[in-house]
Amino acid sequence: MIAGLLVEIDRLGSATHTLVQGLRLQVPAGEILTLMGPSGCGKSAVLAAIAGTLASVSEGLQPLQLTGRVQLHGRDLTGLPTHQRGVGLLFQDALLFPHMTVVENLLFAVLGHWPQAERRQRVEQALQEADLAGLGERDPSTLSGGQRARVALMRALLAEPQALLLDEPFSKLDAPLRAQLRPWVFAHVRERGIPVVLVTHDREDVADPQRVVQLNDSQPSAARLPMPEGPHV
Amino acid sequence: MMKVKGHSHAGARSHSARVFVGGRPCGRRLFFHLKATDHPSVKVLLPLLLALAAAVPMLWALSAALVQWLDASAWQALWGDPQTLRAWGLSLWTGLASTALVWFTVARWLASGFMRQQLGRWLAHVPALLATPHVAMAIGLVLWLAPSGWALRLVSPGLTGFDAPPPWFTTQDPWGLGLILALWLKEVPFLLWVAATQMQREDLRRRWQAEYALAQTLGRTPAQAFAQIVWPQLALRLRWPLLAVLAYGLTVVDMALIIGPATPPTLAVLAWQWLGDADRAMQAQGAAAAGLLTFTVLVMGVAMAVVRQAVAAMRSFGRRGGLPQRHPPARPAVVCGSEPLRPNGLWTAIVVIYIAVWFALAVGSVSGVWPFPQLWPSLWTGDAWQQVAGSAATVGTTLGLAVASASLCLLWSVAWFETASRRWQQVLRPVWLLPLVLPAVLWVVGLYSVALQWRLEGQWIGLVLAHAVMVLPYVLLALEPAYLALDPRQAAVVASLGHGRWVYLLRVQWPLLKRAIASAWAVGFAVSVAQYLPTLYVGAGRFATVTTEAVTLAAGAQRSLMSAYAALQMLLPVLAFALAGWLGRPRQFEKIAPMKDTP
Repeated sequence: MIAGLLVEIDRLGSATHTLVQGLRLQVPAGEILTLMGPSGCGKSAVLAAIAGTLASVSEGLQPLQLTGRVQLHGRDLTGLPTHQRGVGLLFQDALLFPHMTVVENLLFAVLGHWPQAERRQRVEQALQEADLAGLGERDPSTLSGGQRARVALMRALLAEPQALLLDEPFSKLDAPLRAQLRPWVFAHVRERGIPVVLVTHDREDVADPQRVVQLNDSQPSAARLPMPEGPHV
Repeated sequence: MMKVKGHSHAGARSHSARVFVGGRPCGRRLFFHLKATDHPSVKVLLPLLLALAAAVPMLWALSAALVQWLDASAWQALWGDPQTLRAWGLSLWTGLASTALVWFTVARWLASGFMRQQLGRWLAHVPALLATPHVAMAIGLVLWLAPSGWALRLVSPGLTGFDAPPPWFTTQDPWGLGLILALWLKEVPFLLWVAATQMQREDLRRRWQAEYALAQTLGRTPAQAFAQIVWPQLALRLRWPLLAVLAYGLTVVDMALIIGPATPPTLAVLAWQWLGDADRAMQAQGAAAAGLLTFTVLVMGVAMAVVRQAVAAMRSFGRRGGLPQRHPPARPAVVCGSEPLRPNGLWTAIVVIYIAVWFALAVGSVSGVWPFPQLWPSLWTGDAWQQVAGSAATVGTTLGLAVASASLCLLWSVAWFETASRRWQQVLRPVWLLPLVLPAVLWVVGLYSVALQWRLEGQWIGLVLAHAVMVLPYVLLALEPAYLALDPRQAAVVASLGHGRWVYLLRVQWPLLKRAIASAWAVGFAVSVAQYLPTLYVGAGRFATVTTEAVTLAAGAQRSLMSAYAALQMLLPVLAFALAGWLGRPRQFEKIAPMKDTP
């Protein structure tokens, strides 16, 4: 059995446009691989292919499709729905659920098989690790940008993912905050011993200079349309 | 090409045991792992069934109405009728004039509200105005404008010297001015509401604010920036609702019966009278008149599209350098006719008229003896309300129909948005909006035929179906912006936390859409309460609702009873909106100042 995350993309794109082809990524457990490239080169689409959320990413009206395979610790994820993959996701926006308090957001992620007391305790511990003790009953919109980002990471980790994908997680924060948050995030995910893929267009974000994959814009195949990175253009 | 730097080794580190657990423990989440909408057959089958359930009755009704147009003698009779041409002209005049006024008002109002950043505050009034049914508005206006109405009482006999109501046509005037006023008052809030649902969308609002600011840094005045950047994008989104306003104005029956011209009436009223005739030939003539109205609406729709294309072509011609560069591109005169913009006065006037109408209905419903020049009734009485309370069946029918059709349409719409792909939604959207654009007289002809063929005429089920057809587009329009504004990443996050589709829907998406869902239901309820033609025609006259009672009474002399029914017709939707507002209220968190990062 192969440990870690293995991604083999023969072709990724819509029916008419190829975004990425011939890409192979291998990420051992406990390591962070950085995927770099200019916007529109399909970085986020690669993450969506790993997480199984391609249906929600589309180019125009055409859904994206993957030819290839995704393996996590020897388990084939390719056909599985997202919620059965055990792959965590983090976006540039914290995307905390606005109708829940901070604690409720975290509780939402804790696996259901833990007893009630254990769940509470895990959330309490997560709050402390995020330096947010005492702020659990707050409306998430009253937190600062950095606090929200920390809650988002804690929420992703509480679900005990077996791999984690970070989609430009620092790009909405200003430079000092980014410098502060980066080592904190990296330390926490390394501690879990899971494979992590980080997508960014900022050299500063590179977690491990030994593990950088550069996605270039010029593909030999058909011309590419720019990919929207999210609804906020 | 790919350039892979560095090496990726497998198994560089040992893992904790839990990493190797193949599947995650499911336990009691198992139920939610039943893939409700993930299965391919469900993905296609469910939206297909939904589409058929809505499209079959609608298209059946339309084709049933179309078949009746094949009767050549009916068209000859229609053409030979001396009233037809004048009635048609009146319809065109009232429809076009009211629509132009509505467009102008809404454009000015939105421009000013957007520029002053006060849209949100001003829009708070709109639901109350929207909840006032057309019939109640028409009756309230009559109470003011009639020769014996309050307007003249205020100045009589002091200024006018009148001791008796003058023989004036102030409500059913032959020029249709009263109808135009009533339509304008009712349609401005509708178009504003549609525009508001677009402009309050978080993504659009942010983008337009940014573009508007950017245009000003490029040397445009605020009015120019709005007119050249925001308005063209918004106007494009308002083209369907505008066509609906025009179609409504051209084909309205209930309002025109109360406050429209009488000899001849508008073509829609004429068609309605002919359809109700015992003579089959006259009924056929009525169906032909409904056909003529439909053609008129379609021609207007095409004309609007052509005008839009022409304007767009002129603009791109200007951009390509066809016009001298010094001048800014041609801007729509509607938006920045004269500066500074002052639609506040106009808005205040509309709100004041609405309040006056509500007041007149309230006072009218408890008035007893009320001789002409007196400002207030000389006798107050609760008789009318007692009579309304005595006819509980009427209120029960109204409520039952409204709850059933609004709930049916809401369930259908939510299921549609959840299961149909974006592509299906876009392709079929025009079909669901057809009831907004095609005349109600056409629909009742078709729906009655369907009800006859399915043996549902004069039956509760048939009536609910007929109401649902008219209600559906409003519910869809009310719900659509909220669904479009959903961030698809939210669903991805929930799935990545290991939760299935149902957990996402029940704990995240629907709670977040609570407000939109509740208000869509209330909108559907209000639309159903206001239905006149389908209730009477498909119900074969066997079902009375507060609306049919109010319209019928408007032709008589029982002012207090008419006012009471009109007031009730208004009160029911208001209660529905209040209920929806309470059900859809957002969660109240403890009020705490937002925190700032201190790096």
